Amino acid sequence: MDQLERLKGVWKNQSESTIKFTESDIYNMIHKRSSSIVKWILIISILEFILPNLFVFFSDFESTNKVYENYDLNNIMLIYTIIHIVIILIFIYLFYKNYKNINADSSVKGLLHDILKTRKTVKYYVYYNLTMAAIIGIHVFYIVFNSEQFVEKLPENTSIIIVWLIAIGIFTFVLFLFWCFYRIVYGFFLRKLKNNYVELQKSE
Amino acid sequence: MTQELEKKFASELEKNQGIIHKVCRSYTNNETAHKDLFQEITIQLWKAYPKFRGDSKFSTWMYRVAFNTAISLYRKSKRSIETTQIFDNLKELEFQDYDDTKDQQLKLLYNAIYSLNDIEKALALLYLEDKSYKEISNTLGISEVNARVKMNRTKTKLKSILNP
Repeated sequence: MDQLERLKGVWKNQSESTIKFTESDIYNMIHKRSSSIVKWILIISILEFILPNLFVFFSDFESTNKVYENYDLNNIMLIYTIIHIVIILIFIYLFYKNYKNINADSSVKGLLHDILKTRKTVKYYVYYNLTMAAIIGIHVFYIVFNSEQFVEKLPENTSIIIVWLIAIGIFTFVLFLFWCFYRIVYGFFLRKLKNNYVELQKSE
Repeated sequence: MTQELEKKFASELEKNQGIIHKVCRSYTNNETAHKDLFQEITIQLWKAYPKFRGDSKFSTWMYRVAFNTAISLYRKSKRSIETTQIFDNLKELEFQDYDDTKDQQLKLLYNAIYSLNDIEKALALLYLEDKSYKEISNTLGISEVNARVKMNRTKTKLKSILNP
């Protein structure tokens, strides 16, 4: 007889677990809080939706407004803000829809797929934020660097190309730091899920 | 009403808790983690309970949620305990009397299952529980052909672990 078939008999006749819970233990357990990965993903995602937009409140309104007025940026920034709010609302709706689909009752592959899909919404949101920051950044640099006020303030013989290179260099570095932080946080949470999903997809 | 449902659920789960313990013992290797995973599975079962319509057997449904929790939802903590605990188990086996062969075989089997990856663990448990390929494919969400391929690989791997 096959060794595993023999062990099947041992498996089926195994005595009760040494750890055993009473009905009241179980009753108490269902009132405890879940600490599942999905819950952590929800908390981090909410922070991601909120945090980038909190910068507005920490910035100095008056001096920002002054800069906007000086360089005539008010209208452009208003358009960007409206586009940004609409896009955020779309992302929040998609995230909520995907999050609601997560169900511990699904098949193992279905659940892994739904969690990763929910995560993907937030991933695209982060990419959107980085892209939008880059577009607005370059647009504002362009307007400011081409304005007379700015050129007048520059020391003599300063090449505008060097100013551009420094500005883009610093800007890219900051965006890169954000991207690294994001990769580390989610790498930690999603590695196990991704590996299991790939494992299930093999040979399909 | 909710309280009644909670009591009904607790009573049903108390009777069927053996299934969850098997999953916990396969996916963890120390008592704290076992209890921790048991609690998370219980919470997930309770959250999914209102949707359980009895289309499948209570035990089949429990397996599904338990695997989902162990594979996807549970966040392991205290990683450092793992390795030392495995060695403790092995030492314990060496010094045990041979009277209790069945228990010893079971311990070796659980240790072997623990060394498989998350998906293989589920396959091994479903095999030992004599589940049909249809049920295995439904539980894991893969085709029956793929379930057969994966099952054969898991059985070969399990055998090689048991007979190094």
